Amino acid sequence: MDLSLGTLGSAASALALGLAVYALIAGIAGAVRRDARLQTSARLTAVAVFLAATTAVIVMQAALLTDDFSVKYVAEHSRIDSPIWVKVVTLWAALEGSVLLWAWLLTGYTAVLALTTPNHALRPWALVIMQGVQVFFLGVVALVANPFVVLANPPFDGPGANPLLQNHWMMAVHPVLMYLGFVGLTVPFAFAMAALITRRPGTEWMQLTRRWTLAGWGFLTAAIIAGGWWSYEVLGWGGYWAWDPVENVSFMPWLTATAFIHSVQVQERRRMLKSWNVLLIVLTFALTILGTFLTRSGVVSSVHAFGDGPVGPVFLGFFVLVTLLSLGLVAWRWDQVRDRAELDAAVSREGAFLLVNVVFLALTFMVLIGTLFPLIVEAVNGARVTVGAPFFDVVSLPMWMLVLLLMGIGPLLPWRKAETQSLARNLAWMTGGLVLAAGGALAFGLREIYPVLTIGLAGWNLVSLGLLLVGAVVPRARLTGRGLATTTMRYAFEQRRKVGSMVVHFGVVVVALGIAASSGYRTDVQLRLPYGEPVAFGQYELQALAPFSERGAGRVSVGVEVAVFQGGRQVDLLRPHINAFGNSSMTVPTAAVRYTLGHDLYLSVAGAVDPTADGVIMRVIQSPLVTWIWFGAVILALGTVWTLVPPRGPAPAVVPAGATGRARA
Amino acid sequence: MSRLVRSLRLAAVAGILLGSAFAQDIVLDSRVFDIGNELRCPTCVAESVGESNAAIAREMRQIIQEQLDEGRTRAEILGYFQERYGDWILLSPPRRGVLLIVWLLPVAAVLVAGGGLFVLVRRWRAAADEVAPVAGEDLARVRAALAGDDPAGAISAEPAPPAPRP
Amino acid sequence: MKRVAVVVAIVGGLAALFLFGLLRGAPDRNVPSNLLNRPVPNFELPVYERYLAEFGPRLDLADHAGRPMVINFWASWCGPCYAEAPHLEAAQRRYGDEVLFIGIQTQERDARAAGRAFIERFDFTFPNVIDDDSRVSIAYGLFGVPETFFVRADGTLAYKHVGPVDAEVLTERVEALLR
Repeated sequence: MDLSLGTLGSAASALALGLAVYALIAGIAGAVRRDARLQTSARLTAVAVFLAATTAVIVMQAALLTDDFSVKYVAEHSRIDSPIWVKVVTLWAALEGSVLLWAWLLTGYTAVLALTTPNHALRPWALVIMQGVQVFFLGVVALVANPFVVLANPPFDGPGANPLLQNHWMMAVHPVLMYLGFVGLTVPFAFAMAALITRRPGTEWMQLTRRWTLAGWGFLTAAIIAGGWWSYEVLGWGGYWAWDPVENVSFMPWLTATAFIHSVQVQERRRMLKSWNVLLIVLTFALTILGTFLTRSGVVSSVHAFGDGPVGPVFLGFFVLVTLLSLGLVAWRWDQVRDRAELDAAVSREGAFLLVNVVFLALTFMVLIGTLFPLIVEAVNGARVTVGAPFFDVVSLPMWMLVLLLMGIGPLLPWRKAETQSLARNLAWMTGGLVLAAGGALAFGLREIYPVLTIGLAGWNLVSLGLLLVGAVVPRARLTGRGLATTTMRYAFEQRRKVGSMVVHFGVVVVALGIAASSGYRTDVQLRLPYGEPVAFGQYELQALAPFSERGAGRVSVGVEVAVFQGGRQVDLLRPHINAFGNSSMTVPTAAVRYTLGHDLYLSVAGAVDPTADGVIMRVIQSPLVTWIWFGAVILALGTVWTLVPPRGPAPAVVPAGATGRARA
Repeated sequence: MSRLVRSLRLAAVAGILLGSAFAQDIVLDSRVFDIGNELRCPTCVAESVGESNAAIAREMRQIIQEQLDEGRTRAEILGYFQERYGDWILLSPPRRGVLLIVWLLPVAAVLVAGGGLFVLVRRWRAAADEVAPVAGEDLARVRAALAGDDPAGAISAEPAPPAPRP
Repeated sequence: MKRVAVVVAIVGGLAALFLFGLLRGAPDRNVPSNLLNRPVPNFELPVYERYLAEFGPRLDLADHAGRPMVINFWASWCGPCYAEAPHLEAAQRRYGDEVLFIGIQTQERDARAAGRAFIERFDFTFPNVIDDDSRVSIAYGLFGVPETFFVRADGTLAYKHVGPVDAEVLTERVEALLR
């Protein structure tokens, strides 16, 4: 047998699996027998596993880039005339490849953990858990959904990646972020399990993994918003979130992870919620596996369920195994994680965190039940029912308002107990902000309840952030005699966690405003644009100039150039078009968007582009503040990064966590 | 001349690209998409009539526009489709029968979780109000810690605990 | 022990649900028709040339009130439609005297040539009409093609079949209409 890329890739993934199995067994033996040599062997093997998995990924990339259609995955998902970037991202454009990517990232994280985690009682078992998960994913790659299967009769060309996926460069980013998030959240899960196994249910596991958790959460947040942007630009209806099952299942781990990063702080500061935090991280990890199962098995209907394969039962089995083992472990160690908690006052930071935790869990439950309800009804009595976006909107909006409300109060409340006087003063200021903002919205003629409430709560939160900053900076400035600006800078560098969280919360406010405005006040029409004649639309005049057609790499487009006038002056030239890829019969309407800070003008071809006709039918959407969502996401990401960068100066005495994080950051 | 050639080529491409899928020439107002977003596209996988580009979704949008022009209300138009397709077509499940459960469950979850939290907070508050007796194992640990001999490593590995209350 | 039981119960319940989902496969559109036992909507559609002599240029359902009917929706791009077509023609030959079979080409526009080819290929002797703008398919609450409606003599819907029909289904349902 000659050495083809397919056999090479299969060999690399089989080698990775074999090494991972060895690392798992050696790790367990080393941990149980407290044998340092076996533990070291397992740790070093993690690096070898990573190298083998890297080889597999490189081989796959080589096969994609050299159009080696003897490799089944390439034959089924790639195409000779696709541009290079499409070939590269085809690695995660279909099931087998994305599992390979996931497995590879996991081996990378495991190797980094193995090398950088300080020698700690939790380390052996945490690595065992990571390696267990890694064995599963590598097993799927090598045995169940092997992308390297060699075709006896390779075709001369393939069909190319799914047109919806290759239609936007965001597809290069979104899935990778998603898997980085999922894999990142595996790390705190592994350490939590290690804490239970070794009977050290204190705060060490969360401190060791604080940065991993935050980074994972940040990646997941970015992934979800990037996915929203992809939907916005590609799906042609001017929306970014449709409560589609696939969106929902990626959202649920985000909700529980968000609850988790708040509630771990309660345990760090107040030694409460031990069991709760363990349960949350188990839930988060289990939900990532559940999500993969649901989207890859075709069990629920979704627009985004891109290709399913044989992995459904495997992921279901893994989900059951993970939940049974981890929840069983929690039940077994219950006496150790059970809270003997005390709460000095309900009105305190921990009180607010508890409440927001409940809200996030209720949201998770709502999303889960809404997503699974049709399946449940069908299982019970065979009936087909629909639970769609309006349901999720109606149920979740009050809870989102509560989240925004608590986001303003929580950070202002001190731990243990709030002083009534200062609390009343702060609340008065914030209520002032709320009334002012909501009143302003009403004065501008807004009448929809949730947008007005959101704007009001944005005012509430901005005042709250202002109070936080002033409360921290002014006394420092007085004490040191430095200027306010200098003090703020120093504060920002010294108190990265605090300032980072303020930035993140500010980003959330910006995103919330964008969502509220764009979903409450969009104009969405279908117009006929005669060629050469301007048509009024809101403050704009749209003039379809002429149809055009062009050929790109592996792509044919037809569209219309539309001049956008505002006040008699041309402000933009938009080129909405329709793409067809390769010989796929599927056409993808590709919207053209004029992004402005105030609103987006969104054009999508909705009729035939016929040069013999005298006009074109165009879907025209104006939605306010959409760009705020993307800006807000950038702010959010920057805030997260800020908390992740280790502080300057001598590290506090506690920091095994610092060591882990530094290697990552 | 070249313009003609170009348009001919374009026509060919457009023919390939569009086929007969987009044969309608219709103008729709904003209410159409608003109502369409409440309806599930019958032939799509999981898209609304407002989102989908499927032929039937386009036709349904046109029906919505026609009915709006006839002066029908949103509820009447939704009812028109519901009569034909059943509750299945409504993306917002009607609040009756089996579907009532999906509306009640999240509310119930909030109530149960809120109630649970209330009970817990009361219990924890009560625990905080008791004067914690320090004895036995705890006392031994404190003594050991004071003597600089930290058996569990649990005390030093944490940030300084908040000052004890009087 | 109780806690472990709770864990096992929850995980087991979820697993059972998902196992059901896996065994069921991808969700289909076999939704019971909302028109069941109610009068089916009337329609008046252009008829393919082949049936002009017998039915005139347009077929109005109301003209045939009082007869049991089998209304089949198809499209020339639909694979399963080709699979069921011979059974439909066979049933028409067997029951055509008592039951009116009607074929409706739907969910495709201006596809006359393809429609004609489809009809000729199976030599349909029952009338086939053209629902160019898919309005009738919407009026009948169609999810996709093929779907077949079995209508009683009083004009009410007795049964809707989703997906390709076979000889067995046709015999059973048509016999039921005649009973």
